[in-house]
Amino acid sequence: MHSTELLKGTLQTIILKILADHGKMYGYEITQRVKELSLGSILLTEGALYPTLHRLEAEGLLTTETIMIGKRVRKYYSLTSQGKDSVKARVSEFVNFIRTMGNVLQVEMV
Amino acid sequence: MKLSEEHITYIIKDLNYRGIVLDGFQDEMIDHICSGVEEEMQNGKRFIDAYHDILKAFGNTAGIRETQKQTLNVEYQKTKYMLRNYMKIALRNLAKQRFYTFINVAGLAIGVAACLVIVLFVMNELSYDKHHEKYSRIYRVNGEIKFGGNHWRLAVAPAPLAETLLNEYPEVKSSVRFRSKGSYLVKRNEEADNIKENNVMWVDSTFFKIFTVPVLQGNPDSALKDPNTVAISKKIADKFFVNENALGQTLIMDNKWPMKVTAVYETMPETGHFVFDILISMSGLEEAKSTNFLSNNFNTYVLLKEGVDARAFETKLPGLVIKYMGPQAAEFLGGEFTMEKFMASGNKLEYTLMPLADIHLHSDLAVEVRANGNIIYVYLFSAIALFILVIACINFMNLSTARSANRAKEVGIRKVMGSFRSHLVRQFLMESVLLSLFSFVLAIGIAYMFIPLFNDMTQKELALPLSAWSFYGIIFIAMLVVGVLAGLYPSFFLSAFKPVNVLKGRVSLGMKSGLIRSSLVVFQFVISIFLIIGTITVNRQLNYIQNKKLGFRKDQVIVIQDAYALQDNLNAFKEEVLKNSFVQSGTVSGYLPVASWRSDDTHWPEGSQPTQENMVGLQSWDVDQDYLKTFGMKMKEGRFFSKEFLSDSLAVVLNESAIKNFGFTENPVGKKISTYSDNNPDGTPDVNSIRSYEIIGVVEDFHFESLKQNISPLGFYLGESDGSVSFSLQAKNTNDVVKTIEKIWKSMAPGQPFQYSFLDEDFNRMYNNEQRLGKTFAVFAGLAIVIACLGLFALTAFTAEQRTKEIGIRKVLGASVNSIVVLLSKEFGKLIIIAFILAAPLSWLAVNWWLKDYIYKVEIGLFVYLLAGMISFLIAWITMGYQSIRAARNNPVDSLRSE
Repeated sequence: MHSTELLKGTLQTIILKILADHGKMYGYEITQRVKELSLGSILLTEGALYPTLHRLEAEGLLTTETIMIGKRVRKYYSLTSQGKDSVKARVSEFVNFIRTMGNVLQVEMV
Repeated sequence: MKLSEEHITYIIKDLNYRGIVLDGFQDEMIDHICSGVEEEMQNGKRFIDAYHDILKAFGNTAGIRETQKQTLNVEYQKTKYMLRNYMKIALRNLAKQRFYTFINVAGLAIGVAACLVIVLFVMNELSYDKHHEKYSRIYRVNGEIKFGGNHWRLAVAPAPLAETLLNEYPEVKSSVRFRSKGSYLVKRNEEADNIKENNVMWVDSTFFKIFTVPVLQGNPDSALKDPNTVAISKKIADKFFVNENALGQTLIMDNKWPMKVTAVYETMPETGHFVFDILISMSGLEEAKSTNFLSNNFNTYVLLKEGVDARAFETKLPGLVIKYMGPQAAEFLGGEFTMEKFMASGNKLEYTLMPLADIHLHSDLAVEVRANGNIIYVYLFSAIALFILVIACINFMNLSTARSANRAKEVGIRKVMGSFRSHLVRQFLMESVLLSLFSFVLAIGIAYMFIPLFNDMTQKELALPLSAWSFYGIIFIAMLVVGVLAGLYPSFFLSAFKPVNVLKGRVSLGMKSGLIRSSLVVFQFVISIFLIIGTITVNRQLNYIQNKKLGFRKDQVIVIQDAYALQDNLNAFKEEVLKNSFVQSGTVSGYLPVASWRSDDTHWPEGSQPTQENMVGLQSWDVDQDYLKTFGMKMKEGRFFSKEFLSDSLAVVLNESAIKNFGFTENPVGKKISTYSDNNPDGTPDVNSIRSYEIIGVVEDFHFESLKQNISPLGFYLGESDGSVSFSLQAKNTNDVVKTIEKIWKSMAPGQPFQYSFLDEDFNRMYNNEQRLGKTFAVFAGLAIVIACLGLFALTAFTAEQRTKEIGIRKVLGASVNSIVVLLSKEFGKLIIIAFILAAPLSWLAVNWWLKDYIYKVEIGLFVYLLAGMISFLIAWITMGYQSIRAARNNPVDSLRSE
């Protein structure tokens, strides 16, 4: 399990990348997908996920559509064209960050 | 595994119970938790355990609520949501308070509309003559002459001055002269009917080089060089030469002079101090070649070279006076005369330069090209516009703060719920900006409807610039500024409440509080009373002028203009009209007892040498024997001209003022006065042509100029003057009279236009400005009062509402309806009395300032002030009275039982 402190700054990048790979997804699906990819070592706290999704939507990177499923309403998120553009930049920015951290902390990167 | 309906309903209810209510977020949570629970149950958990596990992942109730709050914060940071929310609340508030909203919007809209119209007017006035590209370098030469008890300020200069300036001073690049000879009868050819054209001017050929008047056809450089050529406006070209090329055609002026059209120019805009339809080449005018520096007849304009300092150049002009006017004056007045001595004895002969753009608003001289505007009115109107806007804004602020008591609880609860002060300020500002927006939209509508009326009143052609984007830009900015300014005070005032006090009910801001509010009401009424007094004064002065004994008869006198068109038939025409029973008397004379530009001739008592001391400037009117009878002046001594005395051609009838000026203290009848009867070819009086006239009678003074001026010396001579024929009438139906006279005219002067007016109309025309001022003042005073009353009305309604309980208790304890009405009116009554005390001295100053222009003026007594005070008090009382009585008559049961 990774600490939530470390996760905070990376949440947006994770969400954007996952949406870029999978197209439209709903909130629960995203948490499950993250869990799966991280082999259970990243548990996306719902408390952080939803405000972040809403912020990305407000910034115009995400767009939503809602679908009725019986009594429930499901809200799907997908990338806007602006969002697609920013994914690559954010991922490479993050990779650079890791590399820099490696240098700073004097550890070998895998 | 799928969740059952009951389970989903349970989750929805439970989440709701835990306080998850945010739109959008709630649905998302339900879906998320349901999905999670489904998966857990897949792994064999019971529903309720699965549900609690999922909730735990969120951090139970506290965690899920924290998530909701964070999501909400994200939403709030989106400006559009924030604005939408403010907007929604604002609209709801405004709709809830329909009455106040209406008063606010209506008041502000009327104020803004009035302001808008006035701004258009002021902009129009300020734009005069700015369309000339070189306007900043063009100056008119103004003259000032003070001599022999006369004082003239002239918009004209001597004929040779223009050329002399050009030749003598390198600073002058070009010069041009205008010479007006009045209106002309114009026709295309011998067969066509004459049309009277008023805007005809003789001009030098440099006209098009100095002024920006685009020439559509013809060559502007050579157009007016030759004699007997004219340049005409597009309007005239279209009128006389329908669907034809006007260039090279001929127009016949006054039946005599054929003129060739050498240019057609774009019709001049109304926003100029001159609008000419026909320009006649000055080279055909003998008078223009005169070298006489002592007669002023030409409007003279100079174009200075670039970079020339006009003020410095102006200081050189006195040198010109000594060099050119000195010798000519010496010749005229005898050998000892020198310009220096002349000036030293308090006389004046001076020429100055006036910038072209200043002429319209700052010039009111003799022989103006056209009646000008007045900068005072521009200031006055701007002030009124500002006042009205201020009153409207004050109302707005007053109402909003007055409502604060009702909204205090709202503010308290909002603050308890976590509202910051800045949120509240924004909310209140939004409300006022919204109101301002409604008002401005309404104002544009009102202004649009009102402008034709205003144009009618001011004789202008104003229009809202609806197609210009800048107009909307300015309106939008003004809207924001007014909205924010008007909302600023209430919003800060309201948002400053302490929730504890408000919710405990300690803040009761009724009418008792608010020194500011009281002073605002006082201010409004000061302005209203001021405007009422202004309106009464202007109208009383006008009334006074109209009813003053003028010394002649102005009613029922018809004036037939351009009598010269009758040519040889003139006397036959007069006789023919006199045959009708409705005509009492008729006279042929161009001199009418209404203001116009007439020159003075120098006279002196017979038997002495003309000197500076004994000369009298005398207006000489050529009249016939029936003049006195027709216009109803009275003789004081002696007799008027009569056909029985053949010697009357060498007789003169003076008015009392002339007698006084000549110093004939006793028995003036029989004495003689002398004058030069002839001019030299260059225009100076011929010193050898002295002729004397015997005084046969003295006529009582009558007002032949505006009442702004004293009655000046005047002499009647027996002579021919074919400018007009006037008839005094005794008829009920003036329409029939006009028709009858027109028929006679048509038979005697075929093809000539029949132009007539009634003397009282001509007389009233002298006071056009005053009449317009009177009307405009009345309209805006009315507006100001309406707006002030709207405010007062709402304010009283509000007080009454606030004091419902108090009134109820008073009634239960035995107060009468009357005593309650008095109670409610007392506070405003006090304010109006204070307003009156402040407004009275202010108005007194303004009234005296305006009336000082009139030699003959009405007395504005204390009565007028009291009347104005009474009117405003009455209007205010009626406004308040309705509300007070309604409140006082309410059944106390209703008011006390509520809540």
